[in-house]
Order: sequence, then structure tokens, then C-alpha cells
Amino acid sequence: MDKIIDVLNLHKSYGEVHAVKGIDFYVEKGKLFAFLGPNGAGKSTTINVICTLLSYSEGEVIVDGLKLGIDDALIRQRIGIVFQDSVLDNLLTIEENLRIRGSFYGLSPNELDTAIENALIVTDIKEIKNRRYGQLSGGQRRRVDIARALLHNPKILFLDEPTTGLDPQTRKSVWRMIENLYINHGVTVFLTTHYMEEAAKADYVVVIDNGEIVAKGTPIELKEKYSTDSLQIKPIDKKKVTQLLIDNKVAFTEISDLMIIPIDSTMDSIPLLKLLDQQISAFQVLNGTMDDAFIGITGKEMRE
Amino acid sequence: MIFSLVKRNVLLYFRDKISVFFSMLSVMIIIGLYVLFLGRMVESSGEVAGENARFLTDSWIMAGVIATATITTTLGGLGQMVDDLSRKINRDFETAPIERWKIVISYAISSVVIGVIMSIFTFILAEVYIIAYGGEFVGFGALLRVLGVVILSTVASSSFLFFFVSMIKTMNAYSTISTIVGTLIGFLMGIYVPVGALPNAIQSFIKVFPFSHSASLIRQIMINEVIDLEYLPREVSETLGIQFYFNDVVVSQLTSIMFLVGTALIFFGLSVIITTKRKREV
Repeated sequence: MDKIIDVLNLHKSYGEVHAVKGIDFYVEKGKLFAFLGPNGAGKSTTINVICTLLSYSEGEVIVDGLKLGIDDALIRQRIGIVFQDSVLDNLLTIEENLRIRGSFYGLSPNELDTAIENALIVTDIKEIKNRRYGQLSGGQRRRVDIARALLHNPKILFLDEPTTGLDPQTRKSVWRMIENLYINHGVTVFLTTHYMEEAAKADYVVVIDNGEIVAKGTPIELKEKYSTDSLQIKPIDKKKVTQLLIDNKVAFTEISDLMIIPIDSTMDSIPLLKLLDQQISAFQVLNGTMDDAFIGITGKEMRE
Repeated sequence: MIFSLVKRNVLLYFRDKISVFFSMLSVMIIIGLYVLFLGRMVESSGEVAGENARFLTDSWIMAGVIATATITTTLGGLGQMVDDLSRKINRDFETAPIERWKIVISYAISSVVIGVIMSIFTFILAEVYIIAYGGEFVGFGALLRVLGVVILSTVASSSFLFFFVSMIKTMNAYSTISTIVGTLIGFLMGIYVPVGALPNAIQSFIKVFPFSHSASLIRQIMINEVIDLEYLPREVSETLGIQFYFNDVVVSQLTSIMFLVGTALIFFGLSVIITTKRKREV
């Protein structure tokens, strides 16, 4: 296993506020890594530290074999960042934006031309390269933001909520592009997101809350551990069914005219359905989702 | 790196038509007021310049306008630095392998570039105005000297203003500073009211304000084209802020130049101290 980012006992305080309280995790090379947490959990602080924007109070962070705080200039050469809020210039065209930001990486004029060309192709914005950034749609802007982050062929791409604020269709196409990057181009992706269906596609997930890591694992492990499957039924006579369930010591919750019974696995629904035969008008067996797992871990909804 | 950052800032300034307009606003207001109150001023200078009265007054006011432009347009050019900070665009620069001082110096250089371009543009407008009302184009030597003073004054004002602007974090605060500068500059340059007509305390303040020396130098060069400065009575020269006097000793051109150079150096030093001491914030 090849660790491209290794975070050891990382602490960060702002005066009295202890925002990050000694966290440990690592990111594997070439994988899609999801870093989740509710707002104010220490998520942004951690990313800002790893991206060389913030200093840290204690601990050690190794990025691609380089020590953070000592080799920052070299680390910056190897990371690309897509910030949550845009950092490009509205009054400049896509190409002007890329040319100016691309000049920070010490490329020769020819190398820069090639880099811009490649970034435009990978993000599929070549046809609109002469349009001003400020006139683009949300989805197009995101593509330019990603193109900017890819200019210097970074080994690690940080994406801070890349799809927030996009309509569902645009979100899907931006997401497909991100998948293409780490599947076909071997870029390690460090992602934060509010969308659990995106986190569910990650190779590994770390959840932070109150400055501490509260869960980590693959999405499947997290779902198994922190979410439950459930049987949803629509009773014909609610009182009768309620009594039947209580008599059989089955736990349940009610949501309007539906009753929800947590089960360990989907197969457990068969005996319950036999028991309730003739008493219900409809049923549904639901698998646990990343959303459930997230709420199970932090006790908070992701989207506020 | 510095070159492309400077190019960026200059492009952004000129593409934002509103910011160009506002940085020229003081200049336009002064010209507007001048046109309105023109008659009286020409009358009062008639006794000195005779038939060249109009040429003299035009040259006097336009010299002040050019000096004003070296300050207000340079300040306009520094707006990008505040904008980048308030919109957190600086994060993109600070996570790239580029030294912090290069980012900072590029803002200062671009404000000089913008200030010089806009001041030269103002100078051209001024000459067009002067010629349109019967004056003559400045001679080649005078032209070069005006350009020299424009560049020096822009560098000094960039350095001076950078010190204050680098302490600002929001566009609101920046707009406030721009408004204050735009309002006061016409008085500090002795344009709205000739220096001699102001109370003594204010006169002394204007004499030690570095940029009134830019105005004084440009006035000397431009008025010398109309009437030999030696023939200009001291009283007129002093009242109109063409030459400054300290205890009956005239301030030489070299002294004024050294004063501007000194201002540029001192505030450059102070700016370096303040920007390197500023904590990194996200």
C-alpha cells in the first residue's frame, strides 16, 4: 500500500479554540478519498493545513514523501486545489485565466501551451476557451476551476465540495469528469462533499466531527456498521398491527401512516412479513444508505 | 511570474470600466469645476500674462489635474489587492509555488503601470484642452520632464498608498479611503482653492505633503512654457502653489524631487515591514 498523504496526530488551535484535536489518517495513492463532516467540524481547517494555507500546532503531515511545513514549495508543485468558492477572474477569459495561473509553476512557454491544451481537453471546455469566466454557467465554471487545478499535472487533487450548488444534471456530468480523472489519469482525489451518493463511490471515507475522527472505512464498511436495513410497511389497521408487533417484541417507528421496522439484514424481513400477512397493504425493504450512516455517526444531517 | 501577475492586475483594471471611471472621477470633477468658474480665474491672471492669460490658467489647472491623476488612478490600481483578499482569491496564489513577496510586489508594480498609463492619458487630454483654447503644445524637453515627474509621483504615491491599502481587508473600507482621497486631493493639491488663499496652518501642511510637490513641479514645467518663471512675481508663484517658500527661501526642483524620492523609499520600507509581519489568514 502506497500512502500519498499521511496525517499523524494533527492538532490545530486558533487561540483558545481547539479546532482539530489530534487526528490520524492516510490517503492511498490513486484512490478516491472522501473526507466528510458537518459544518464546523474541523474539515476545512484540516484541508487548509494539508494544502499549505494554514500552519498547524502539533503533529506531522507527509504529502507525497515531503514534510509539510518544511517542503511547502515542493508540495505546492504537486497539489491542485478546487476551492469551494471560485478563485478565478470573472473579467478574464478561460484561456487568460489558465495562462496566468499556469505561469506560477515554472513551465516553459511550450510546456504551458501543452498544459493549457490538455487541461481544456480533459475538462471538455476547449470550444469555449475565449469566453469570459464571469459569463459562464455554474457547471462550466466548475470545469474551468478543475482545469486550473490540473494545469501542473498535480499528483493530488483536492476538491472542496465540487458539486455544491449545481443542478442535478450538471452535478452528474461534473462528477463523471472527476471519476475519469482518478480512474484514467491516476490522480489521487481528496474530496469533501455534502452528497452522500458521491461519498458512497469513494474508495475510503473518513468522518470528522468536533475536531476528532469519528469513523473511517470503506463506504460498505460504514454502511454495515452505522446504518441499518429496514422494513417499511403500510398497515391496514394500525392498532392491530401495533399490538401484533408489541406482542412479538419487534421494535418499530412510525412515520405518518407508515411503520418502519429496523432489521439486521434484508432476509430478516421474510418472517416478519409472514407474521404480518393479511394485515398490511404494502411493504418495502430498504437498504441502509450513506446518508443513514452519516447521521448514525455524527447524529447530524449533512445538508443544513 | 511577476510579469504575468502584473499583466493580470492591469488587464482586470482596464476591463472593469467602472473602476477606471471612478479613479478618474476626481480629475473630471476638477475639470468640470474649472470650466464653470473659468471666467474669474482668467481675469485675475490677466495682469501677469497679458494676452496669454488663458494659456496660463489652463496650464496651471491642468498641471494640478495631472498631479491628481498620479494619485487617484494609482489608488484605483491598488483596488485589486483588496478585492483579491476580500474574495479570498489570494488562496489560489498562496497554494501555488510562488513566493509571497512576488505576489505583493506585483500589486505595487501594477498600480504604478496603471497610474503612469492613466496619468499620461490625462496629460494628453490636458494638452488637447490647452491647445483647443489657443495654447501651445509643450516643448519636447518639457514633455520629457513632465513624464519624469509623472513617473516619480506615481511611484511615490503607489508606495505611500500601498502602506495604507495593505492594512485594509474589505472593499467597503477601500471605497471609503478612495472617497476621502478623492475629496481631499483637490484641496491638498491647492486646486480648488489656491494655496495662498488658505490659512497659514493649512499652507504649512500642504508644503510638507509630498504630493503637492508633484503639482508644484508639473506647474513649474508647464507654466514655464507660457511665461519664463523668472518673470513670474514671487507673490503669484507662491499664491498659486507654483513654487513653495520656506522662510523666504524658495524650494528648489531638486529638493522637491528628493522629497518625493524619500517618500517613496520610506513608505516602501514601511510597507515591507507591515506585509511581512502580517499573519497568514484564511
